[in-house]
Amino acid sequence: MKAKDGIIDLLNRILTANLTAINQYFVHGKMCENWGYERLHHQVCERSFAEMKDAEEIIEHILYLEGVPNMQRLGTVQVGETAPEQFNLDLKAEQEMLKLYTEAVTHCAKVGDYTTRHKLEDMQKDTDDHIDWIETQQELIKQVGLEKYLAEQIKKEGS
Amino acid sequence: MKAKEGVIDFLNKVVTLELTAVHQYLLHAAMCDNWGYKQLQHEFHELATEEVGHVSKLIDHILYLEGTPDVQSLGQVKSGPNVSKLFEEDLKFEQEDANLLREAITHSAKVGDYTTRHKLEEMIEETDEHIDWFETQLRAIKQVGLENYLGEQMKK
Repeated sequence: MKAKDGIIDLLNRILTANLTAINQYFVHGKMCENWGYERLHHQVCERSFAEMKDAEEIIEHILYLEGVPNMQRLGTVQVGETAPEQFNLDLKAEQEMLKLYTEAVTHCAKVGDYTTRHKLEDMQKDTDDHIDWIETQQELIKQVGLEKYLAEQIKKEGS
Repeated sequence: MKAKEGVIDFLNKVVTLELTAVHQYLLHAAMCDNWGYKQLQHEFHELATEEVGHVSKLIDHILYLEGTPDVQSLGQVKSGPNVSKLFEEDLKFEQEDANLLREAITHSAKVGDYTTRHKLEEMIEETDEHIDWFETQLRAIKQVGLENYLGEQMKK
């Protein structure tokens, strides 16, 4: 199926954002592991895997639309030196992504590509959830203090 | 633990190569899916997952050595218009990977970092297996013909 005007370009921009996010969250997750924050390690690495699933879906959809997925481009990976810094940078990345999704969803509706719109809307919801999660962590740090927050991250989820 | 000279550099070079591999195999998996070769999609996906495992181990090890993992660099992602071409590019890629790993292993031994050497040796074993897999596919194509080979790849 041939893509409508501008769709492949937007999908490729989203793909770049996803590919960049995979790396950023993966490094952040691994740093948390290195610091001994098992719980954060799992949550952040999970996010990286979720981004990879999104990336795969976008690649498949670009191919379905007879476009060429751009696997060569990578945005700037912003690495934080501390957990709060990581949250700030991840939040920024997710907000950028949200803007991009909104732009793409609007464009899809304009050119009448409702399949792509539907796919992007699902992904946008995940982004919303992630923003919510990061904001919750930031609020927790504000309320209980960084030390107490981090102490709670030493244990794995459920243990 | 502080790293010995040049070790972090080598490890980061390997990270770049493995990250490039992840991108390349994800792309090839999706292309095979798009062409209807479910079995090959599955194989490429497995390869991508294994490469993610390598990246994970490398980043862990770089952090352990108090280095900074470089996840910003990306090598050239190779692709092709058909399955045989994909295999050829992937084979070349894995061979380059093996060369770099060999260099890194030699260097680790030279500076006396046997922990890193051991980790890299585990990786090169898997890389060798990948090389063998691609060689096998290319040989099978030569022996049974491309159409017969591809016919077998539609089902998972």
